[in-house]
Amino acid sequence: MTPLRSWWTRVLKFLFPPETDTWLAVLRAGMGLQVAVYALFLRSDWHYLFASSGKGLIGREIGDAIASFESPLIPTLSWLVALGRSINMSEEAVLSISWACLLSSGCFLLLGLFSRPAAIIAWFLHLCVAESGGLLAYGADNFMTTALFYLMLSPLPDRYSFDRWVVQTKQKNPQLLGFWRRVLQVHLCFVYFIGGLAKCLGSGWWNGSNLWHSLIRPPFNLVSPDILVRFKYALPVLGISICLIEVSYPICIWLKKTRLVWLICILAMHAAIGLMMGLYLFALVMIVMNLAAFGISYTNGGAGDFNEQ
Amino acid sequence: MVSKAIYAAWFGIHFFLLTAVCLAGIFSLIAESSTILPSACEKSAREAELVASWLLAKQAGASNPIRQGIATYLHAAGMQAGYSFFAPNVPSQYRLTLELFYDDGRVEYESLHVRSRAAALRLDSLLDRLAEERYEPVREVLVKSLAFSVWREHPDVKKIHATFGSVNPPEMSEFEHGKAETFQPMFGFDFSLRDEEKQ
Repeated sequence: MTPLRSWWTRVLKFLFPPETDTWLAVLRAGMGLQVAVYALFLRSDWHYLFASSGKGLIGREIGDAIASFESPLIPTLSWLVALGRSINMSEEAVLSISWACLLSSGCFLLLGLFSRPAAIIAWFLHLCVAESGGLLAYGADNFMTTALFYLMLSPLPDRYSFDRWVVQTKQKNPQLLGFWRRVLQVHLCFVYFIGGLAKCLGSGWWNGSNLWHSLIRPPFNLVSPDILVRFKYALPVLGISICLIEVSYPICIWLKKTRLVWLICILAMHAAIGLMMGLYLFALVMIVMNLAAFGISYTNGGAGDFNEQ
Repeated sequence: MVSKAIYAAWFGIHFFLLTAVCLAGIFSLIAESSTILPSACEKSAREAELVASWLLAKQAGASNPIRQGIATYLHAAGMQAGYSFFAPNVPSQYRLTLELFYDDGRVEYESLHVRSRAAALRLDSLLDRLAEERYEPVREVLVKSLAFSVWREHPDVKKIHATFGSVNPPEMSEFEHGKAETFQPMFGFDFSLRDEEKQ
């Protein structure tokens, strides 16, 4: 076997480990919950945030224009509004229907009913909303788009979904299931390595001042500064720990000995971000992605084999 | 085997693009002197950022199909931005205060408000972006829209003066000594019912 062929075989072995669909069930149900909670959280401000100029907060047109400047092919809510206009539907009605469809697709994903169409609709609608409200978007939106993008392309439905009970479809290709899980795993390694590296380059993460500023900065200031002051010696340790856990994630999450510890640390970090800073959607999407990628025990040939190679 | 090769090729292209996006973000932070790295690195970082941007076809014209294709793909996959949240340091907090001037000479102070906490987080993101230099061309339009959203609730207001600025929180040791946050105005706009003028 030539070195090139041997290398290619190793690449394929890494990219296509045989997997069960349990991880996909976690991603599908988790993202269903995420999309449903996202829609419910924004229910009272939906029209205010995404209406056109003169009716809402800043008007959807600016976000649409910025997205369209990047590329006119990026979908926005204006596409849906234009489609609605062609059948004499008002903007308010289109926005309401979009919200209802997003909530429904989240519920369908949670149950595993029409999994693939629900994943595609959830991804498309969320993308339209995130792009039109691009000026109002934050990290959770990007991660939601990414997770829904991978979910939509993964071999749905999984065995725990209603789809599988209703229609007896055959078992999906284990190597394809393994491939999409690898994609999610590698993506998370990028996320934490880059996030950790960027934090390591800031002085404030080494002396605890960035944690202090994060936790007292409105609207993340759920914990009183008076309480934080009592833990002033813990903040530098926590700040350094966050940097090290994130930057070493791409190595330690693959090693059998450290995987569980790193996973628990990362999940605890996101849970703390959710509870102490009120970033519930951000925390939930990261926990779902981590659980789907590394939380479910590996079957034969999965990532568990990687560290033995 | 062929289908595996196609999947592997997609994997390579996908993560190549993600690498370029992430590196462009990191190099940009270094080039802007936001990091603890010595200033001697800034020039090289700027050049490296340009290379990463070139790989994403950002140097091409706005109508270039390759640039548009890459941008569309990155947005569709949610990876158009890097992952340097709250890094290298926590960004400043910004505040927009609105002074409402009534016909009878009354003056009231109002701030922006939304109903839910989820929307409040988004409003905070918007204020962060208002401070960024790249949003300078749309800054006045955005502030005008925000002022107008308040105006709709106070239709008898004659004029609105909007002041945007950064809120500088105290360090922990300063907080222990009773120091409070300070407000540093950055820019302001006056809007009247018929016209608006930039100050």
